[in-house]
Amino acid sequence: MRQALPPFGFTRRRVLAFGAAASASALIAPSASAQLRLDVTQGNVQPIPIAIPDFVGGTPNDTEAARGVTQVITNNLRRSGLFNPIDPAAYIEKITSFDVLPRFPDWKAINAQGLITGRVTRQGDGRLKVEFRLWDVTSGQQLTGQQYFTSPDNWRRIAHIVSDQVYERLTGEKGYFDTRIVFVDETGPKERRVKRLAIMDQDGANVRYLTRGDDLVLTPRFAPSTQEITYMSYGQGDPRVLLLNIETGQREIVGNFPGMTFSPRFSPTGQQVIMSLQQGGNSNLFVMDLQSKRTTRLTDTSAIDTAPCYAPDGGRICFESDRGGKPQIYVMGVGGGGAQRISFGEGSYSTPVWSPRGDFIAFTKQYQGQFAIGIMKPDGSGERLLTSGFHNEGPTFAPNGRVVMFFRDPGSGPSLYTIDVTGRNEQKVPTPALASDPAWSPLLS
Amino acid sequence: MKAGWTISAVGHAALLAWGLISIAAKPLNASPPESMPVDIISATDFSQITNGIKTAPKAETPKPLVEKVAEAKPVEEANAKVVDKKPEIVATSDKVEPPKPQVEQKKPEPKPTPAQKSEPKQAFAKEPEQKLDPIAEALKKDTQKPDPKTQQKAETPLPPKKPEPHKPQPKFDASRIAALLDKRDPQRHSATGDTLSHTPSLGTPMGRAASLTQSEIDALRARIQQCWNPPAGLADARDLIVVVRIRFNPDGSLSTDPTLSNSGSHPTFQVAAESALRAVRRCAPYSFMPVAKYDVWKDVEVTFDPRDMFRG
Repeated sequence: MRQALPPFGFTRRRVLAFGAAASASALIAPSASAQLRLDVTQGNVQPIPIAIPDFVGGTPNDTEAARGVTQVITNNLRRSGLFNPIDPAAYIEKITSFDVLPRFPDWKAINAQGLITGRVTRQGDGRLKVEFRLWDVTSGQQLTGQQYFTSPDNWRRIAHIVSDQVYERLTGEKGYFDTRIVFVDETGPKERRVKRLAIMDQDGANVRYLTRGDDLVLTPRFAPSTQEITYMSYGQGDPRVLLLNIETGQREIVGNFPGMTFSPRFSPTGQQVIMSLQQGGNSNLFVMDLQSKRTTRLTDTSAIDTAPCYAPDGGRICFESDRGGKPQIYVMGVGGGGAQRISFGEGSYSTPVWSPRGDFIAFTKQYQGQFAIGIMKPDGSGERLLTSGFHNEGPTFAPNGRVVMFFRDPGSGPSLYTIDVTGRNEQKVPTPALASDPAWSPLLS
Repeated sequence: MKAGWTISAVGHAALLAWGLISIAAKPLNASPPESMPVDIISATDFSQITNGIKTAPKAETPKPLVEKVAEAKPVEEANAKVVDKKPEIVATSDKVEPPKPQVEQKKPEPKPTPAQKSEPKQAFAKEPEQKLDPIAEALKKDTQKPDPKTQQKAETPLPPKKPEPHKPQPKFDASRIAALLDKRDPQRHSATGDTLSHTPSLGTPMGRAASLTQSEIDALRARIQQCWNPPAGLADARDLIVVVRIRFNPDGSLSTDPTLSNSGSHPTFQVAAESALRAVRRCAPYSFMPVAKYDVWKDVEVTFDPRDMFRG
């Protein structure tokens, strides 16, 4: 008997064979491409080791200037606490030419991660040319390089600008080295202190005195244009807020108020000055427009409202008020209106100042006889104390918002100190004599 | 009719077989970080462990004019300390011998780890064993418990800094295990500074009395962590997660430059990425990786996540 052939020749045998073959091929699974994955969540928060060999002098006469520039850059980067300049005695390669590629294995051997080379040349027209290159030692790539022209006596500023470039390239933050500090220089015995306004580079160089010392001066503050300073003066009669032009030396009284005016501060645009005015037993906040000389009252309480400061966007102000009993920090819209208290810890809070990045407010806190400098977020959360002791007061932020300067008087006289917002790297700022009430300028460039 | 059944059956079987066998390969995730024996000690004990001695004989370290090249793993570090301690042990045995039966000092101690107990065993876990021997010696010095057997062990040469194949203990005697076990009370307390840390120093950042051997993956992670300098003080660390792909040669060197596998919009992302790439390049070559398992680690994707570091 003949069996009917299945359609398409699908005999059982053939199908079984095909099925076996298909299964066999399916068994040869595609090889798994297992890529190993790792999470690295901890690292070494260490200053970046960086090598800064002496800048090359374009001509033999320029070697001294070149060495000076190198010293300023090295000093800046070391004091920032984020860099660790390697001792030049350990360098293996000697950089003699700016245009030649460095021998990176030599720099890798001393564990440098960054390398700065540069050249200083005096031009024919008297100007100074400064060039630099920042290298990544591990990859051998140039990260950044610039050249600058300036008059010879401005060489320090160029060194500060180069430091800012390196700082920004390697940390991602804007630098703060090309800035100046205005402060109150104090000399003389404690009973008869002579207080003068002084201005200097942030590393302590180029100190210049702005007043003669006849009047008692307090709380100097920079205008955003950095050409003007506003400060308080106890000269004749009541304390007054004054405006001083750094270039011309011209002085002007801000407003003509009956009563005492305190703690002046410029607005971010530089067009207004906010200050506190004392009338009777209380003090309130006023804003004065410098062009129109019109004043606006911002607070009207029977408490002491003082030490006002602007947010960097100019929309809000923070100030110190004791309307709740003890001095606390309040935030208010720039037009006035309801003020919101943001400090709620133990003790009293004063001298608030808003970071130029807007992310922190620094303040002085007094509790049980200890003075501390602290920071908190503008909504009052995340309060952290940076330093605490017998006396610390008057914080001011660097333009990049990462460093705070304040003054401390251990009993023998006040000095200036800087500290990182993380609480690390406290440094003393070199001043010719005792110093207090610092204010940090914006970046000059 | 039968052909139809057969086709159907075979088709189903083939499909099932294919589905079962050719599974989509999942990426092999690294095992969780090394497990460590955890000891609860007081703060004073910890400061004693990490204490250094200013008067100890100077150790032979190269005079650092520059930053030291990345140091050996902490495990090896602990070994080094242990080796230095050897002379001390010899002196100990002299003192302890005469006063034979001593009042056993019962100290309230936490439960000992298994490693501690297995001291006189044959198949040692090599490294912790060798380290624990001298530590055990140091402990005995405190408790004045003479134990000739273990003292003999101490005299056998300790391995040098690099872990070596384990040498069999010459005087091991199976019948005396009982004697050894009985004598030792479950005791474990942190050995104090002058017995553990013999290097003249102002202390160490970490103190470990014993640790398990790290798996190779954790060794790689630890090494990269050592070399990673994340830019400090960055405001918002959330946007700064960097993923780097690394390809290795069998000897542990990088076969190609490490590449970025992600990108970020944050302005400081580039700085964070550079610090991650720099970390990988700095620590090359990773010669401690085992060649036999090259397939496991030849292609690695590392995620650098700084969030934990900048919390609070």
